[in-house]
Amino acid sequence: MGYQLLPFRFERFNDTEYLLTNEVGEYIFLQNEDFHRFVDGKIDTHSDLFYDIESKQIATTDKVEDVVSMLATKFRTKKSILRDFTSLHMVVPTLRCNSSCIYCQVARKNRDDHSADMTKQTAKNIVKTIFQSPSPCIKIEFQGGDPSTDFEMVKYIIEEAEWQNLFKKKELDFVICTNLTLLNEKMVKYLKKHNCMISTSLDGPKDLHDTNRPLQDKELDHHAIFEKHLSMIRRIWGNNDCASALMTTSKYSLGRFKEIIDEYVRLGFNSIFLRSLNPYGFAKQYKEKIAYPIEDFIENYKEGLDYIIELNKKGTFFVEGFAALLLRRMLTPFATGFVDLQSPAGVGIAGVIYDYDGSVYVSDEARMMARFKNYYFRLGNVNENSYQEMFNGELLHRIISSACTECLPACVDCVFQPYCGADPVRNMSEQGDMIGFRPTNEMCKKTKSIIHYLFELLHKHDPEINRIFWSWLN
Amino acid sequence: MANIKFPVVKLDNNKFQVIVDFNLYTKEVVTASIYKFSHLFYIHQQTDADNPNLVNVIFESKDDNTITEDITKQFCNELIDQQLRHNVNAQFGHIRDMIVEEAFKPVNSK
Repeated sequence: MGYQLLPFRFERFNDTEYLLTNEVGEYIFLQNEDFHRFVDGKIDTHSDLFYDIESKQIATTDKVEDVVSMLATKFRTKKSILRDFTSLHMVVPTLRCNSSCIYCQVARKNRDDHSADMTKQTAKNIVKTIFQSPSPCIKIEFQGGDPSTDFEMVKYIIEEAEWQNLFKKKELDFVICTNLTLLNEKMVKYLKKHNCMISTSLDGPKDLHDTNRPLQDKELDHHAIFEKHLSMIRRIWGNNDCASALMTTSKYSLGRFKEIIDEYVRLGFNSIFLRSLNPYGFAKQYKEKIAYPIEDFIENYKEGLDYIIELNKKGTFFVEGFAALLLRRMLTPFATGFVDLQSPAGVGIAGVIYDYDGSVYVSDEARMMARFKNYYFRLGNVNENSYQEMFNGELLHRIISSACTECLPACVDCVFQPYCGADPVRNMSEQGDMIGFRPTNEMCKKTKSIIHYLFELLHKHDPEINRIFWSWLN
Repeated sequence: MANIKFPVVKLDNNKFQVIVDFNLYTKEVVTASIYKFSHLFYIHQQTDADNPNLVNVIFESKDDNTITEDITKQFCNELIDQQLRHNVNAQFGHIRDMIVEEAFKPVNSK
């Protein structure tokens, strides 16, 4: 053999081709015959085919040490999310909420029930804990319930964090996740003043949004209030970028992705994240009523993505968020900060959540499990435990060591591994342990299908699709 | 034409047996291949009584999943892919370790 194979993974992509990927996400398609000649060491090192393979760092005729050095630099970049440790800190000031979403995952409280409100002492301890993170960037994201039901606590935490940051001098950002309906002009002006971005939920056109996310007060028109308040927020901020929206797919959303996307466009959003239902809370409890086979979501997702590509072809710049995230991993050497799909998993080490009572969970989903009496992923409590006990404790070490796709069964050989991630919390919720079982794992099925579809689209070599995909990465 | 001995045998009670030759496939490869089918079928391994280099992999119906000869042929293809992964990994596994070690080596800032 005139060349050295470098680490790669492969899979039969279709009847005539293999897909090969390396540790840092470079990829190449090889005809079946070429693939077998390649692994047998029979490719001419002066052929165009070999030059293509070598340019992807899947084989080399150079000194191995030199190539290792280059690949190591790229690998380090891809894993740079590990460098700073926890940067996303989600805080739940209250479980009160004025919605009654059919897939609620947090066992919300009614607006007049103050039993799950955060105390100032707990809030103070949370902020103190957050600022012990070594990360130079701190993002505090308010979750709920709906945090706007306890806006005074949101203000207290923002101001406490800003005070702490006078000494710590970190890059500090805020986000509030809210259904918008309780925000008034005074609150929005406060949020703008403190540069607190707004993340909201929009499940589609009025009938679908109101079916998935009705308000507790049935007399109120959720979608109409949402639209009115969205306009008010954008007027005060002076731009559309201050508020982004997330959608959740219920059974009622299937077959309606085009309408959902049209609604996002109509309301002035330039992106959507087509998101399947997570198996927690009511979504798990009332699975028969609102969930669906993951294959149905995958088909809807593909139709939705095709529709979005068509919109872009017609001149409307509009991004599908999950595709953009994966494409960034497939087409660029850069890291992506998406906590839910990392290896090692981002739970605890990239993002963490502080509940209203000071309990610390490795992720929002872990907190959701705790609502239903599963406390496996609780790191401790800010009122009782030190930062070191929680973030350098045996539990977090155990979780992370169970959550590297580089060594999980089936993931270890998966051709899509460089683009994927581990989710020990979801594995536990769905399959009973942190490792999970890939052949029946819905998250695995969904992610692999979507990556495969993106590769199919890239493999068409359609200049217009490629232009659109690259425009999403800039 | 040479007389090729086909390794797939249909047994009674909706079971199929695949005879795997350890001269061609390693134990790890057989286990990795079985793993991918274990959600569909109960799968048993038995070393052949007459030949310790052969293992009989028996597929038994589970949850009303019907076993067909096609399934066992897919298993045979999976064995080939897994063995190939095993073979190429033997060539570059140490390079993968070198990359990870180099990537996470402490950086001297001076």
